[in-house]
Amino acid sequence: MSKAATFLNSQVGRKLATGVTGLGLVLFMIVHLLGNLAYFAGPEALNTYSHTLHQLGPLLWVVRMGLLLFFVYHAWLGISIWLERRKARPDKYEVYASRGGASRQSWSSSSMILTGILLLLFVVTHLNTFAFHDFDKVVYGGVEMHDVHSRLSEVFAQPLYTVYYVVIMVLLGMHMRHGVWSAFQSLGWMSRKTNPVIYGIAFVLALIIAAGFIGLPLSIFFELV
Amino acid sequence: MTIHLKIWRQKDRNTPGKLVDYTLDDVNPDMSFLEMLDWLNERLMNEGKEPVEFDHDCREGICGSCNLVLNGMAHGPMPGTAVCQLHMRKYKDGDTIVVEPWRARAFPHIKDLVVDRSSFDRIMAAGGYISINTGAPADANAIPVNKYDADLAFDYAACIGCGACVAACPNSSASLFTGAKIAQLAHLPQGHPERKKRVVKMVDKMAEEGFGDCSNYAECEAVCPAEISITSIAEMRREYVKALSEIE
Repeated sequence: MSKAATFLNSQVGRKLATGVTGLGLVLFMIVHLLGNLAYFAGPEALNTYSHTLHQLGPLLWVVRMGLLLFFVYHAWLGISIWLERRKARPDKYEVYASRGGASRQSWSSSSMILTGILLLLFVVTHLNTFAFHDFDKVVYGGVEMHDVHSRLSEVFAQPLYTVYYVVIMVLLGMHMRHGVWSAFQSLGWMSRKTNPVIYGIAFVLALIIAAGFIGLPLSIFFELV
Repeated sequence: MTIHLKIWRQKDRNTPGKLVDYTLDDVNPDMSFLEMLDWLNERLMNEGKEPVEFDHDCREGICGSCNLVLNGMAHGPMPGTAVCQLHMRKYKDGDTIVVEPWRARAFPHIKDLVVDRSSFDRIMAAGGYISINTGAPADANAIPVNKYDADLAFDYAACIGCGACVAACPNSSASLFTGAKIAQLAHLPQGHPERKKRVVKMVDKMAEEGFGDCSNYAECEAVCPAEISITSIAEMRREYVKALSEIE
């Protein structure tokens, strides 16, 4: 094996890659969330933002492919680590309990595989609902654009879809609550001084991102915008 | 006090084991947990029955021999305490305690509550040492070490190699043990000549022995009798990245 392959297949390398891809996806979500906020500025702002992104051409495809690579690799690592864990303890405990204290075992950390798989399935449906949708056209200043705004208004007028979306975003918050902190630990950036700070930042970041993504559909559903 | 025990009894690796009920109605609260097991074993032997096998040596929390999972927690409910230092006064009259061995593929079962932890020895043999000329002892402060590094190295050196980190980890990872050994030597000048080779060999050996990946649950830190911090795992990861040139 080459040096890079040996590194990436080591237990340290696998965690490092999980952390790097995870933080990359968090970065994407921050950009995505900021983009979503354009909805509140009205149809023209959101549609123009979407149009500007589409004008990026090859750069957009580089970002899309990178995102796909990060997403698939992150999911594959998570699933393979989970499968490895089953092999590492063939005989289960009759009774198992967390000691608490320094332990970070929680609903968030113990359900990473479940929330992760649900997020994976969500992304497929999400792309189908928005990215691959045949949008209506709208014209601003002589330029024809996708009417993303009306699609959002239409989708989040449906109670079932709105509930589904909100639930998934809560799961995203849970996944990030352990994931962000864990990424810093995996990258070896934790120390006695930084530990509590990063743990706190991860919680706040997860809360902001989940609340941000939940805010838009609820605002649309309850006709607040 | 009366204590109800459910103890994992297993004749050998190839025979399926099960929890067996024992009730002791005259437990002294000042007994340690292991003394209570001695008490039980004396009874069993007097009755002509096979005593419960369990590991123990110093019984003062420094040798790392004792290894019991009590009600699902490695070393029982007390933070920073090996099971030999756990006393029965921690429990209430009438309590039921489930006693199990460490469970991990890398710690093969031997008998009852005893497992084979020689995989830790092999991780140590892969790189957890320093090559120095032995001889007359050197002057205490001949090699200056700053206080920050000395303190950290000392904290990591507190690891007694008991394996509770593996036992409590949902993934059966040995990262806390391996991380503590690597981080301890990385903070001391004596550890520097073999620094890069050490981390690569020990991390690789850990995976080869069948320990799982770390998922940063930090359960290891919660059960560690020496209260080793998971910052040792972060240090191990930093050391591994710095040692890229040694990876083949």
